[in-house]
Amino acid sequence: MSNTPCACLRRITVAALAICAAAGPASAKDYLVTALHSNKLVFIDVAARKVDKVYPLPRSRPGNTPGTLVVSPDGKTVYVLHNHWETVSGIDVDSGKEVFRADLSTSDTRGKCTFAFDVSPDGKEVAIYIDPVKILSGEYRVLDTYVAIYDATAGLSAKPLRSFPAPRRTTLLAYSTDGSRLYAMSWDAVIMDPKTGDVLGKHPIRHWARKNLGEPDALAVWPLWDASKILSFPYVVARTDRKPEAPDAMKSGIYTLDLATDKIAYKEFENTSVVLFSSTVNPVKRNEVYTVYSTLSRVDARQGKLLKRVDLEQTFYNVNVSRDGKELYLGGAGPLVAFYDASSLKHLQTIRMPGDSDQATASMRLFSH
Amino acid sequence: MNHMKPLNKKAAALVQAQAAPAAGQVVTMAAAAVGCTTVFDPGWEVDAFGGVAGLCQPMEADLYGCADPCWWPVQVPDTLNTYTDWGVGNDNAARDWRALQAVFPK
Repeated sequence: MSNTPCACLRRITVAALAICAAAGPASAKDYLVTALHSNKLVFIDVAARKVDKVYPLPRSRPGNTPGTLVVSPDGKTVYVLHNHWETVSGIDVDSGKEVFRADLSTSDTRGKCTFAFDVSPDGKEVAIYIDPVKILSGEYRVLDTYVAIYDATAGLSAKPLRSFPAPRRTTLLAYSTDGSRLYAMSWDAVIMDPKTGDVLGKHPIRHWARKNLGEPDALAVWPLWDASKILSFPYVVARTDRKPEAPDAMKSGIYTLDLATDKIAYKEFENTSVVLFSSTVNPVKRNEVYTVYSTLSRVDARQGKLLKRVDLEQTFYNVNVSRDGKELYLGGAGPLVAFYDASSLKHLQTIRMPGDSDQATASMRLFSH
Repeated sequence: MNHMKPLNKKAAALVQAQAAPAAGQVVTMAAAAVGCTTVFDPGWEVDAFGGVAGLCQPMEADLYGCADPCWWPVQVPDTLNTYTDWGVGNDNAARDWRALQAVFPK
């Protein structure tokens, strides 16, 4: 091997390029993406706290707010559930053009995705949960629910590569970080092999059978694990050893599922006193979880303690968190997106969505582009 | 309830259903459930604690969050399947609620 200055320089240059490639484009910025009742995708520049881009959704019947959003791992495509839950489209972040489209209904069968879809960690496949109903001349015939796997490069008439049965009432699909597991959040967290559909196991939720506690009431709908890769949701559970009127008859807790390690945890942190809709885990202080509705709460999920709670200017369905764990982003429900300090829960800024359009149940995702 | 009597067939059916053994087997608000017939929540009149402080603020901010996933089909139209045009053009429920009309069975 030559050790001439030129060869050394070449090696240093190659090493520098490799470091740059690993770190991503130098100009990559963090964005939030949400969706509006007016059938639009909205991109928010996180650092500037301003709306950056707005794209109308193509070939989408209006009147029903787009739901779940999933961003491809390379940050180039945003997948959105829209068209009254009957279509998943991939939208190019730079151009707003539709680059992927899976229509879930056919001429005689209505297919709806109940929030639950995800993109594989390598970006190659899109997994969609489908709840089909055959529409006959005199009756609706309910068919079995399933997961359909699509090739992410299949274009605008994507058909499933394969499909396999999935539990009813699934409201979230989530790939593990290595892509080997696909979680279907239903009455329990069912773990499936995304290649074969084989059921690999189950983490009990409704069937957790804990002493002196009933079945938890949970709303696992929002995919808010962008920074931490930990799926989480709040729940409420009744104590069976208390009279209904007792102050501690109902407890609120946080359920977490680590998408890297497959570990679950749950712990109650207070007597139920407020409504909680969604939660997100701090990627740095991983014991801290934030949960939102008409209040914003900071919870030590490991110790089971409420650390701080503030009232909000309006109700938000979503709470997401920055990669450094220092800032919170609130969205969903009405027409506002709000920025909060993750430690003090101090309000930093609120921005209005274009046309003051509501966001309803649209999920708000964080990504780099 | 002892002082109330059903005045029509539907009300009589409700009274009979309350007395039936199967009524106790109904599981409401099951974990992670969503859909037109799988949940029965209280409406916007009262929150889970019997008051109003836990309702969405403003309550209209919850409107499309309920209509779009067919969450409270009695109080708001189902925009997923049946009344798909109900909210078209009225993108801010707190501002546009006067334009949202009552619907009737098709």
